[in-house]
Amino acid sequence: MLVTMNSVRLSYGRWPALDNVEMEIRQGEFLVISGPSGAGKTTLLRLIWMGERPDSGSVEVSGFRSDRIRKRELPQLRRKIGIVFQDFRLLDSRTVFDNIALPLQVTGTGNRTVQKRVISLLARMGLSHRRNAFPHELSGGEQQRVAIARAMVAHPVILLADEPTGNLDPDVSREVVDLLLEINRGGTTVVMATHDPRQVPAGKGRFLFLDRGVLRRADRWTELDQES
Amino acid sequence: MDRTGSGIMSLFQSSIREISLNLHSKPGARLVTLLMVALAFIVFNTFLIISWNLQGLMNREENTVGMEVFLQRDLSQAQGRVIGDNISSIPDVQSVYFVSPEEAEALFRAELPERSDLLDVMGNDFRLPASLQIVFEDEAMTQGRLSELARQIQAIAGVDEAVYGEDYLPGLLKTVTTIRRLVILLGIVLVSSISMVVFYTVRLSVVRRSLTVDVMKTVGAPWWFVRIPFLVEGIFMGVTGSAGGLLLAAILSKLLSGAVTHRFMPVSWMTMVILLGAVTGTVGALAGSYEKER
Ligand SMILES: Nc1ncnc2c1ncn2[C@@H]1O[C@H](COP(=O)(O)OP(=O)(O)O)[C@@H](O)[C@H]1O
Ligand SMILES: [Mg+2]
Repeated sequence: MLVTMNSVRLSYGRWPALDNVEMEIRQGEFLVISGPSGAGKTTLLRLIWMGERPDSGSVEVSGFRSDRIRKRELPQLRRKIGIVFQDFRLLDSRTVFDNIALPLQVTGTGNRTVQKRVISLLARMGLSHRRNAFPHELSGGEQQRVAIARAMVAHPVILLADEPTGNLDPDVSREVVDLLLEINRGGTTVVMATHDPRQVPAGKGRFLFLDRGVLRRADRWTELDQES
Repeated sequence: MDRTGSGIMSLFQSSIREISLNLHSKPGARLVTLLMVALAFIVFNTFLIISWNLQGLMNREENTVGMEVFLQRDLSQAQGRVIGDNISSIPDVQSVYFVSPEEAEALFRAELPERSDLLDVMGNDFRLPASLQIVFEDEAMTQGRLSELARQIQAIAGVDEAVYGEDYLPGLLKTVTTIRRLVILLGIVLVSSISMVVFYTVRLSVVRRSLTVDVMKTVGAPWWFVRIPFLVEGIFMGVTGSAGGLLLAAILSKLLSGAVTHRFMPVSWMTMVILLGAVTGTVGALAGSYEKER
């Protein structure tokens, strides 16, 4: 099991953002976590990359346990995880190439390997002609593809995408979801949080639903869909 | 991940790049801080110069703080010189000058001509004792250290008595000691207040670059890689600020040299000032870039 959550509870102030969450993520699956804004999706992903620790219960990710991990082990965990955000989080003073290369440069990967990997990813993302552009010169869709390339460059075992289509037009959104599906076919586990699960075709992944911090079983969205 | 030589080089290169990216961004707050550090150091330097000159003044007025060591009468000239050599190897001793009985007599007659008859009365067999005139380093200019040195010298075989200006020294020494304490106190106040200023400036940098910091952490950068640019920024402000303060104080000292004769501080003190700047910057930056978790 790649990720295991046991009785996870986490509150900001009075209300629990996540309440008694039990969850497992298997190697190689495409997991969609949906739920309305404020349901706790971002918090759930933060627990996986351990940007947050649970108040009670435990999270285990690829052998690292939330209640045992040391501060200096966090970078080791993060190198196994790729993260994509709704707002892209590209660094504006660096070119597309340097943004993508960042995870390799901060871990002492040799220059030749960096060149090879970034150039091949640029080609795969259809961004080769943009390698020397700066993030603010790119369209939203291009920026998100750069962010995905950055998340994938160090060959993570799991890719976390938090509302990756939140700032994009519908057809660009479809491209991004297709890209995530393709990455998943390549063997990488993908967890995508979205308030709109219809973006992922039914049957292409496992669906979980978060409702005010409580995790509900699969396919709840189809029921909701029928209700509306 | 390859940890080859080229990997280490590339890690080093990207770290250097982070440092320069941080130093080149938005210099406004850093300039103000630099100016504040420099101004604070001018005040500090002024006190250092006063302290240094007071000490110099005292040395000159009192013909340097020295000690007169009378040797036992039965010693030969050669034995006297051996004792002199021994004493010159004691820490804080700057120079030792051997005064032979003949020289002592000549000096006595020259300095106290009205008492010359005293020597005549004593007859031809009488000789003044040979002595050693000892001059100490400025560092030894405390009451405690001087009496310690006197005890140490007195204990050497062949030494009859060690005499130093016990009667007039305490007053002067007290003044110098007070100034010294003031300088130390000022140094403490300076270090803590300047560290605070550096702390807030570095904190500001961390907040301004919070996106970079967050991204670095989420892609698994080691903690030192994230923190080093801020440490360098703090040390840079401390060192440049104190060096600037030193330079401004030197210019001021030059301008005032016509009105008040004085000396600038010695190189060892200037080094200390820069070091103090570096320490201050490091402390401020360490605190400013500290984060609990994540
Ligand atoms: N840093 C925070 N401080 C306080 N409350 C927070 C913080 N982050 C999230 N919350 C609260 O936790 C709940 C879940 O938030 P979040 O995980 O961001 O939801 P989602 O991503 O599903 O929109 C919300 O009620 C939100 O207001
Ligand atoms: Mg969210």
